[in-house]
Amino acid sequence: MQKAMQTGMVVAVILAVLTIVEYVFAVNFDDDTIRFIGLSFAAVGKAALIVYYFMHVYRLWRVEEAH
Amino acid sequence: MAVIAPAEAHRPVHDHLKLNRAGLWLFFFSESVLFGLLLTARFYLEGIQREELDQLLGLGITIVLLLSSVTAFTAETAIEHDNRKLANWGLIATIALGVLFAAGVGYEWSIAHFHRDEAFGTLFFTMTGIHASHVISGIGILVLVWVQLLRGRYTSRDHWPIAGAVMYWHFVDVVWVFFYPALYLVN
Repeated sequence: MQKAMQTGMVVAVILAVLTIVEYVFAVNFDDDTIRFIGLSFAAVGKAALIVYYFMHVYRLWRVEEAH
Repeated sequence: MAVIAPAEAHRPVHDHLKLNRAGLWLFFFSESVLFGLLLTARFYLEGIQREELDQLLGLGITIVLLLSSVTAFTAETAIEHDNRKLANWGLIATIALGVLFAAGVGYEWSIAHFHRDEAFGTLFFTMTGIHASHVISGIGILVLVWVQLLRGRYTSRDHWPIAGAVMYWHFVDVVWVFFYPALYLVN
């Protein structure tokens, strides 16, 4: 359990950092196109982290024990 | 009286689990179409233009929702390891943070200075409204599984309702990951 929780906490910190970076980037960057692209990359990255580590999408095609 | 066929009665539990998971992911897919269309409408109608919104409030409710995903993850991980006490607190924290997020959206609605007749106003109220309705239904589902947890219903080998409710909560979080920059940060 400790390992799973550690992984979750690391992902949570990355998500928090990405959210802050996203905000600072959007508030301070003037070029609309680059800002839009940067925000899109950040959103896709955050979504991928949540879908993989929190929603365990890989379990869909993995044979495992019952819940 | 319904008779259960022997083959059905002895179907391995993990088959049911795989079906449950596949069904939930199909549901997420159909929901993604809905939210994707809302995002498309937002950029089609307004481009990257937007009205002024309370930036700190937007950032605050975003962090609250991300934090609730962490507590939901904690609850699921805890019950996977038969730690009911931690699962209990994880679910309580998730529900509380969900209520806080919904209250934040409600407050944002109350101070939003643009009118619902404007294109951005319509998009803002529709997107945040549909998302908030998912948050509120998610809170309801979490309360239901929390009550069942208190009754001792779940174990490490049988906790699909918690896993499913938590996955739904994470999905709601993923949607906000896209809605937040689209509504608050572009332009």
